[in-house]
Parts: sequence; C-alpha cells; structure tokens
Amino acid sequence: MASVHMEMKDSAVSSSKWLDAHYDPVANLYTFSSCIALADLHGDGENKLVVGDLGTGASNMKLKVYRGTGLLSENTLLDLPTGLVSFLMDQHEPCTPAIAVASGPFIYIYKNLRPYFKFTLPTLEVNPLEQDVWSQAREDMIDPMTLKEMLEGIRDKADIPLSVRSLRFLMLEPQDMEAYVNLHKQQPIRRQTVITCIGTLKKNMADDDAVSCLVIGTESQEVYILDPEAFTILAKMSLPSVPTLMDVTGQFDVEFRITIACRNGNIYILRRDSPRPKYCIELSSHPVGLVRMGKNVVVGCAQETLHGYTQKGKKLWTTYLPAPVTTMAVLDLPTRGFQAVLVGLANCEVHVYRDKNLISTIKTPDLVTSICFGRYGREDGTLIMTTKGGGLIVKILKRTAVFDDKDSAPGPPIAQSIRLNVPKKTKLYVDQTMRERENAVAMHRAFQMDLSRMRLAAARAYVKALESSLTPMSASLTEPLKMNAVVQGLGPSFKLTLNIQNTAACRPVMNLAISFLYDENLYSMRTAFFKIPLLVPGLNYPIDTFVECLSDKGISDIIKVFVLREGKSAPLLTAHINMPVSEGLALN
Amino acid sequence: MGLFDKLAGWLGLKKKEVNVLCLGLDNSGKTTIINQLKPTNSCLGEKNWCHLLQAQAQDIVPTIGFSIEKFKTSSLSFTVFDMSGQGRYRNLWEHYYKEGQAIIFVIDSSDKLRMVVAKEELDTLLNHPDIKHRRIPILFFANKMDLRDALSSVKVSQLLCLENIKDKPWHICASNAVQGEGLQEGVDWLQGTD
Repeated sequence: MASVHMEMKDSAVSSSKWLDAHYDPVANLYTFSSCIALADLHGDGENKLVVGDLGTGASNMKLKVYRGTGLLSENTLLDLPTGLVSFLMDQHEPCTPAIAVASGPFIYIYKNLRPYFKFTLPTLEVNPLEQDVWSQAREDMIDPMTLKEMLEGIRDKADIPLSVRSLRFLMLEPQDMEAYVNLHKQQPIRRQTVITCIGTLKKNMADDDAVSCLVIGTESQEVYILDPEAFTILAKMSLPSVPTLMDVTGQFDVEFRITIACRNGNIYILRRDSPRPKYCIELSSHPVGLVRMGKNVVVGCAQETLHGYTQKGKKLWTTYLPAPVTTMAVLDLPTRGFQAVLVGLANCEVHVYRDKNLISTIKTPDLVTSICFGRYGREDGTLIMTTKGGGLIVKILKRTAVFDDKDSAPGPPIAQSIRLNVPKKTKLYVDQTMRERENAVAMHRAFQMDLSRMRLAAARAYVKALESSLTPMSASLTEPLKMNAVVQGLGPSFKLTLNIQNTAACRPVMNLAISFLYDENLYSMRTAFFKIPLLVPGLNYPIDTFVECLSDKGISDIIKVFVLREGKSAPLLTAHINMPVSEGLALN
Repeated sequence: MGLFDKLAGWLGLKKKEVNVLCLGLDNSGKTTIINQLKPTNSCLGEKNWCHLLQAQAQDIVPTIGFSIEKFKTSSLSFTVFDMSGQGRYRNLWEHYYKEGQAIIFVIDSSDKLRMVVAKEELDTLLNHPDIKHRRIPILFFANKMDLRDALSSVKVSQLLCLENIKDKPWHICASNAVQGEGLQEGVDWLQGTD
C-alpha cells in the first residue's frame, strides 16, 4: 500500500519539471512584466522580488518588495508605473542595487527602499502660436470662446502639437472655460512627454556587478541614455514611432544594441554612434512581447505567432501559438547553459520555447500577466508569475529537470525542416533567365509558330499514311484489322510471327493475303506470300514464317509486310519490321 | 571483531563507530549544527560561551563539496560527512549513501518558499536504491526555530510528508543551532536507535 502510494506520487512528480513553491491567489498584485524585477536589495545574497504594483484603477499604486513568501515592504507610488528596473549606480561597498521606477515624465530612484532621486524628462518645444494665444488670454485681450477657436485652428494645422493644458481646455464645457483660463493663464506653458519603456545598459564593463546606465523610451519617439550617477543625458536617439518594448545589450562605452518594438508594428535596432535606427524589422502584426535570446530576437505578435529574427533583422522562423500572447520573458540558466523563451498565453498556459520548439508547458490557474525568471531568495531557477486576478505564483525549476531539445507539440517530422543542399545558381542559368525575361514575347511567338508547323507536318504525314495504308491499323470500315509482328531468334535464321486480329464486332473477314517485301541479297524467305484464312472477330491469329539472313557483315534491314485484299493492289495494312543483326553468323 | 574489541565494547572503553551523513539545502545550518556537536568548546568558561557561539555562526562560510568531522559522545564515535547543500553540489550526496549508517537532514524552517525543494531532495534521497531498502535512521532538524517567521516542527513534518516514511525510524526536533538548543535531544534519539 505504501509502495503503491510512493509510485503514484513518483509518476506525478516526475512528469513535471517545476516545483510549486508558492501560490497566493489573492496577493493583490496587479502588474506587467515591465514592472517586475529580482534584485539583492540588501546585499545579503538573498534576492528579493520588486514589483511596481499598478493597483486597482487610479489608486493604490505601490512599490512592493517580497522576501520568500511574504511581503517585506511597501512604498506608495504617486503615479502609474510604466517600467521598473534594478541597477547598480556605483560600486561602493556594500553593493546594493538601486530601483528605478518610471511613471509619467519622471523616474523615481530608490536606494535601500528609500526615495533617493527624481529625474524629469526635458521639456519639449512649445508651439509659438499657442504661446502667443495664451499670452493674449493672460492680458484679457481675448475671451475663452475666441481662445478655443484659435487653439482649434492651431491644433489642426501646426507641426508642433499642443500642450496638455490647451488640449484639456479644448475638452471643457463652455461654462467651465472661464475658470480654467483664469486658473492657468499666469503659468508658462510647458509641453512634456512621458516615458513608455525603460531598460538598463552596462556602462563600461560586462560583469554582473558593473555600473549600469538607464535607457528610456518616450512618447515623443525618442530614446535617452542616462548617466548612472549624475542622471545627465549621455545620448539621445530618435525613432520613427513611439517605443513600447525594449531590450538592451552591450556596454555604453564599447558597443551596444537597443532593440525596440514600436507602436507602428515595426522593430528598430539602434547601435552606438547612430542617432537613427540601423535596422528595421517590419512585422505583419503588432508586437506584444520582445525577448533577446543570445544574438537573436524573439517577438510575440498579436496574431498568435512567435517569430525569431537575427540581430540584423533576418527572419529565422515562425511558430503558431494556440492562443494570444499576454506576456513574454527569457528563461536564462547560465550555470546549466540553458536559455529559452517563456510565453504567457491567454488560455492560461505558459509555454517554454527553445528556438521554435515547444519544450515545456505550464498550466496556470489564472491568466498570467507578468513573468519573471531568475534567482529569488537563494534559488537560481525560480519562475515568478502574477495573474490577472492579482495572484502570485512562484515555481522552482527542479535540479534534475532535463528539457528535451525535441518539439513536444505534434507536427511535421524533423526531417521536413532539414534544409536541402541546393546548389548555387550558375552564370549560365542566370544568363538564360535574363534572356528569357527580355525576349519573352519573341520566344513565345517562335515557339507557337514552330508548334503549328509541327502539327501540320504531323497531320500531313498521318493523312498520307492513312491514304497509302502504311499503318499496322486498318482504316477501312469493311476490314477493321490490327497486326503486330514479333521476331525471334539470334540468326542467321529468324522466326517471324505476325499476329492478326479482326477488330470488328461481328463480321468475319475473308479473302486476305500477306506479302513481304525485302532485300533479296540480304534475306531469303521460305514463303514470301500466303493466304490468310477466315478471320473470326476478336480472335488472334498467329502466322509464322522463317527468314534466313544471307549476309555475314553484321548488317540488318527492314522487312515490309503488306496485308492485301484479293483483287486490290493497294494494301490494307503495312508493317515495317526492323530486323535484328544476325549474331549467329557474325560468331561463325 | 576480536574478543578484545568485544570486551572493550562491553566495558565501554571502545566506542562503536557510526558514519553519519548530514544533508539539507544550502543555508539550512548543517555546518553550524556539526560545529555545535563537536564538544571542543566545552573547555571554555561559561562566560565566553554565548559570545563565542555567535561569532562562530557568523564566521561560517558555505561548504564547498563536503567536509568530514569526527567527535565522540557518551556511547558512540561519530564520523559526520557534512555535505554542501548548494544546488550544484547536491549530486555528490548519493555517492556517500552506501557508507552512511544514519542521516541527519537539516531544514531551514523559516524558508517556506524552498520547503518544496527540501521535500524534493528528501524524496530523491528516500527513493535512491542505496537507501530505499535499508532501515537507516533519519534525524530531522527543523532548524532556525528562533526566527520570527519559522514554522513549527509539526508543520515542517507535514510539509515534508514525513508520515509517509513507514519503513525507517525517523525523528524530528526543532532546533536553534546557533544557540545549540534542541541538538542534544536529536543526538540522544540517534544513539538510542543504534
């Protein structure tokens, strides 16, 4: 009984690669993968989970820190967090990372979980026309209705968009306008953008404990790189669209690569010393998740697909998913040399892909909205997920877990995906292709002309053959006959068998004769002419005769066979028999 | 065993030797427990006792591979294999199962998150061919009971499903290795089983 229980437990345990460490369905944690990080905040070798909690609606935004299964601390956030990263600002002992929380136009830096610094994005250029209009309003030269009309005019025409203040003013009801203008007209107009995504970039060393710069993408289609200590802007790059997802690799002082998915459905790759994108990947649908695997980029798209690209933008593979992607993260186990992509799906599953192969599936009790994999506490392979309903799931990868490199999803066999070694196109092939492309019309005409000529020649030959009864098939309706001939023997004597058949439905054929025509110097025949008996329809009549070859020079000729009707000179049928070379004589 | 050895054993002159494996996850307190069990500190005065122990616990660094410690109690002579608990060294454990005559399994009772990992390692241990069919005594220390969020020894034995171990004598006791509490109870049990 005990052993049975053990065995049952064994099979259940061995089927899974993950240990269920913790599940709290009511952790009240609402967040996305961009707002979740693992960091050794206290320098004690135990990683904590840092979460920018979006709260419920417009309130309860918090910076939460988890240790093990319990909440360690909570800080209130002023605005919705759009991104959260942990990074090292300096290398002073003890090495404790700082937390950067991006919300609105600001980045709040926390050290030791205490507010440390606030970075504000530089303000944008304000439309001079808008400024003029507001200065007129300040001096009460125009009433709110005129102000509204003028601002609407600017909004529709101007290159530089309106400030938030003017846009909000345009949304107001007429009775509220007066008060709004009076409240705001004294302040100068500012136009500010907001942060859409945030990442980190090592400054000048690739070590784990190296200082990192912050990389931020903004709504104004720009990317800034900030100094880790002074928070000055080290570099600024612009994009053709608004960035939404970001992946950064390399070192700022050496060479780096920023892969950015944008709101226009394209992925741009920025490099050091290029203020504009170096490469562009145009996706067929909008990107939902972006992950870098070694040198390749893996993108989850809105059309339930997962694509792999090289870092130069060449497409490597596509996998079709069973449900829409909710979030993505990378599974990196450097100690085991294992990397994979974690894809959260809308059907309450998390799939683990290595390249295009599905290697593991995790079922979750709720829809997963954020995934984070890394060292948590003292355990290296910890998978942390938060759910739509605010739950927290912690799973630990088993020490003994082995992932097959094979695809676990049913599909075409591997042999199908092996590339064939197709040889390169030769110069001749290319030249021919070019010629065909250039002279297509003339070649087609020439071909059609020749084809018609050939058909005509064939028809003529056929008619001639029918008219002179040169064929082994009889064309006449009264004597429908068929004949074939077989030559047997090695020589010098051959046996010639003629098979004659009456193909008519019920009428017999009578009074036929067979005659041979041949070169008399070469061949001799015992009987060169004989009569055929009555032919019953459908039956095959074999008629044998013997041919003697007279030449010993190893040459052969044609023997013509004519089927004749008594009293008529034109033959009914003609057959040409190609005689084989007489081998018997040649041997002698 | 010669007649002289037997005689010495009866008279209590020669003690029986036991090989003990000390297993458990990293940071659970295996090395601290072994250091506590070594009676080398007993010659020091009572005054320095506490102070010294605290310093000792802090000085302990993660064990690499394993280390062998020997000490004697009233009736037994222990040879303890203090195995490293780090993930990458855990595959060394099974090479010593054959020689082990008893197992001390240490659990960090304040680490709720990794209780599943401890259970997984324990299940692997119990299902190993060198252990499965032997009546080998297993002593569990639910260590770090002094910490605020520590689980009780009953809770730990529930989480590890110890009630399913039917073919081996086992015992669990809560301990605080830094202060040495609960260790003697466990060692007394271990001596009783032999």
